[in-house]
Amino acid sequence: MILNINNKNYDIDVDPDMPLLWVLRDVLGLTGTKYGCGIGFCKSCTVLIDGNAEQSCLIPVRFIGTKKITTIEGLSNDGSHPLQKAWVEVGVSQCGYCQPGQIMTAAALLKKKPKPTIEDINEEMSGNVCRCGTYNKIRDAIILASKE
Amino acid sequence: MTEKNNISRRRFIFGSALSFAGLVSGFISSNKALAELIITENGNNKIMSFAPSIWVEITKENEVIVTVARSELGQGVRTSFSMILADELDADWDLVRVRNAEGDSKYGNQSTGGSTSIRTFWQPLRTAGAQAKKMLITAASLIWGISEANCYAEKSFVYEKNGSRKLSYGELIDKALTLPVPPTNSVTLKKSSEFKLIGKTKWNFDEPDIVTGKAKYGSDYRVQGMKYAVILRCPYISGSLQSYDDTNAKKVKGVLGVYQMSEGIAVVAENSWAALEGRNALKAVWRQNSNFSSEDIRKAFTDKIGTLPNLPANTSKFIEGVYEVPFLAHTTMEPMSAFAHFKDGNCEVWTGTQNPQTARSNVASALGISQSNVTVNVMLSGGGFGRRHDNDYVVMAAKISKLSGYPILFFYTKEDDIKNDNFRPASMHAFKVGITSSGYPSGWIQKVISQGDVSPNNPNYDVPNITNQTASERFGIRTGPWRSVDYTQNIFVNESLIDELAHLAGKDPYQYRYDLTKDGRLKNVLKLVAEKSNWGSQLPKGWGRGIAAFVGYGAYIAHVVEVSISDTGKLKIQKVYAVVDPGFAINPGNIKNQIMGAAIDAFSTALNTEITVKNGEIQQSGFHNFRWLTMEDVPEFDIDIIHTSETPSGMGEVGFPSVTPALCNAIFDATGIRIRRLPIAHTSLVSEVEKKSQISNNVEFEAVPTPFESSFKVSIKLKRWNQPKLDVSIVDILGKKLIKTLIEFDGIRYIGEFSFPTIAAGTYYVLFSDGIDSYSFPIMKK
Repeated sequence: MILNINNKNYDIDVDPDMPLLWVLRDVLGLTGTKYGCGIGFCKSCTVLIDGNAEQSCLIPVRFIGTKKITTIEGLSNDGSHPLQKAWVEVGVSQCGYCQPGQIMTAAALLKKKPKPTIEDINEEMSGNVCRCGTYNKIRDAIILASKE
Repeated sequence: MTEKNNISRRRFIFGSALSFAGLVSGFISSNKALAELIITENGNNKIMSFAPSIWVEITKENEVIVTVARSELGQGVRTSFSMILADELDADWDLVRVRNAEGDSKYGNQSTGGSTSIRTFWQPLRTAGAQAKKMLITAASLIWGISEANCYAEKSFVYEKNGSRKLSYGELIDKALTLPVPPTNSVTLKKSSEFKLIGKTKWNFDEPDIVTGKAKYGSDYRVQGMKYAVILRCPYISGSLQSYDDTNAKKVKGVLGVYQMSEGIAVVAENSWAALEGRNALKAVWRQNSNFSSEDIRKAFTDKIGTLPNLPANTSKFIEGVYEVPFLAHTTMEPMSAFAHFKDGNCEVWTGTQNPQTARSNVASALGISQSNVTVNVMLSGGGFGRRHDNDYVVMAAKISKLSGYPILFFYTKEDDIKNDNFRPASMHAFKVGITSSGYPSGWIQKVISQGDVSPNNPNYDVPNITNQTASERFGIRTGPWRSVDYTQNIFVNESLIDELAHLAGKDPYQYRYDLTKDGRLKNVLKLVAEKSNWGSQLPKGWGRGIAAFVGYGAYIAHVVEVSISDTGKLKIQKVYAVVDPGFAINPGNIKNQIMGAAIDAFSTALNTEITVKNGEIQQSGFHNFRWLTMEDVPEFDIDIIHTSETPSGMGEVGFPSVTPALCNAIFDATGIRIRRLPIAHTSLVSEVEKKSQISNNVEFEAVPTPFESSFKVSIKLKRWNQPKLDVSIVDILGKKLIKTLIEFDGIRYIGEFSFPTIAAGTYYVLFSDGIDSYSFPIMKK
């Protein structure tokens, strides 16, 4: 099976039912995508699939086909994506574990709506749990990134 | 990651024998520094770095490596420790790297709990920075042949004061290594006005790695040949394994082995998915040794209340009642996980833990090896909140590695993590508090009954005649420390009770608190939060505000919470004002982040979350039934820091305790409903008036006066009726019936009077039914 991840093709031999999350983390060593709950409720595992934010813990790898996957490692080469720069500028993270998922969800939002309203942000981000309570900072960072 | 966790270069000790005994204060007992050498191709030694103490190392490349011996859980310790040391060292912040200390007694107490890190390490880290700087300045003065007074340090260079010469720290390490380490009491620390880093915001040191996915948490450890393991544990509290069948599990592709151990049945596989699939295919039969439910715990608590002592004779009014808080799980974002490799009698561990020293000793004893054969390397933790004081997951990783022979990454699923947590204890707080004719407290009696070891905290205020009693009732549910520990329950109770007393006395809850303390720092945070929140000003209809304060962890904090409650009882937390006096504020931006995060933590647990038991099983299993607030629910924050020169304090926990009571006091302000049981979801927030209009199609209810002094009149009119008698009960907050009457009823209107001269003030409910629906209306006794 060939997977296109971060613009690179990976030839993998895995159980086709294995969720994408574990393929990324265990088979390919792309550990930036995090395991939080495994049942699609926390969105720590969010990646982009053809530009849409999806929970990698729920998607068996056989459903991916030729779709293009972007993980946090591939969002930019050097941390220069506007969201990554905004996160650093605003000082969002506490433990940081949920943040790759937050950033990927926000990246899909900005692609659809480059100038989102507060309501747009709240709605799009409402499924991403942050146990440290950084929501206000996440929102500030998305607004900052949307101004770039 | 900008980290030197795995230094492969050989390290030698320079000079005579070194001893690092007596750590934290006076950690340098020798007069020589450590050096790191490599042996070059021609056989000569080349000095690579210089370590004047175990806390700091300066490399030839002019990097400063700070060793942090407390665990990063999101509280910012890697950042703040580095700031403290680097400031005294006058290091260039861009050249600072951080190394996590492995679990070792030479670092002193490494337990990351009780918000003690800053308070413990503030002086030692400053001293370590100052010692290193002194040696580098001495080195430069010797090289240049000038006095030390003519040298100064800035941004990782030493400069000649009246000249143009400069040398980087990296260039000075060869010379510095020949010098004695100055005694800790011989170095001069900076005046606070001289700080360059301390007191100015530095965001999370690891942020650039977090946002690019490079930051490594315990569950991210990867090494060639490693395998993955999960465990099937008994679902019943105090239950045990009777038998199991692993035939199908072993057939799952990728499963390498199944092992029975005291904790359950472990499945080892090539990857996490195969391990989980293997576990799903296990068939296990469990012995259920208990069959209790949450209601049994509440009943056992209630039965233990007994009779509280009498309040002093000068008591003119009093309130008696019960507060209740539930069990809480930690549910860190990252479920517990650890890597362990047992090989040739040694065990190497990589994990996120709040106590690598106990991880080390627990692993050693579980494997039957000496502690010196166990290395515990500390990685980032995806949240801690107290959960990672218990290293059960580290021990399981080590045991599975020994049983299987593989390097193992062991992990809990979210469901495992919740069901096998060490919960914040559930507790019941029976109280009797009174006021004198002046309106100020006459006495304060509390009895805390917990499934755990909760004992009451005294209120923050000048309250006389305090009696504290404690009892526990064990059901075999494991409990442990949870962010802010017993303050989560006790400050909720104390600050709600102070509010109740203020209302009982007819006084303003802010002024009441302010008048009840002589502690200037407490008065300050109260006064400033009242000013900031425009306390006393008119709020929109349906809104309320509440105040509460907390003193602990070396700090002072006060909160005002504003809420609004809709006609249908829907609560919205509108705004939070917080004023904190942390002593000297080391990293103000991070302090605000901590205060904000702790408040959201407190709101989530106050509103929705609890761990419950049914027939011996924990009922919650994930973020869907143990819910945390998400972005659309969080309020606006207005946080102020009072900058003082007092000793800095711990900031990871101080932001939690007073939030819950401020919220509940705000709900009371908005509705007249006193929340005495958490989570708030147990209580309808539909106020009396609104409730009447809401169900006016079927019933009209009126109770006058409310709040009542000794008796009240009830008027009930029903629109539909199919019974010969009306059953009216008056119940307390626990649902305990105080009066139950069967009344002859014509099906149209009932008017009756209930007399309660002796019961305590507080919230009660009038219950009745029209034969189709039951109705409950709150009433308040003064």
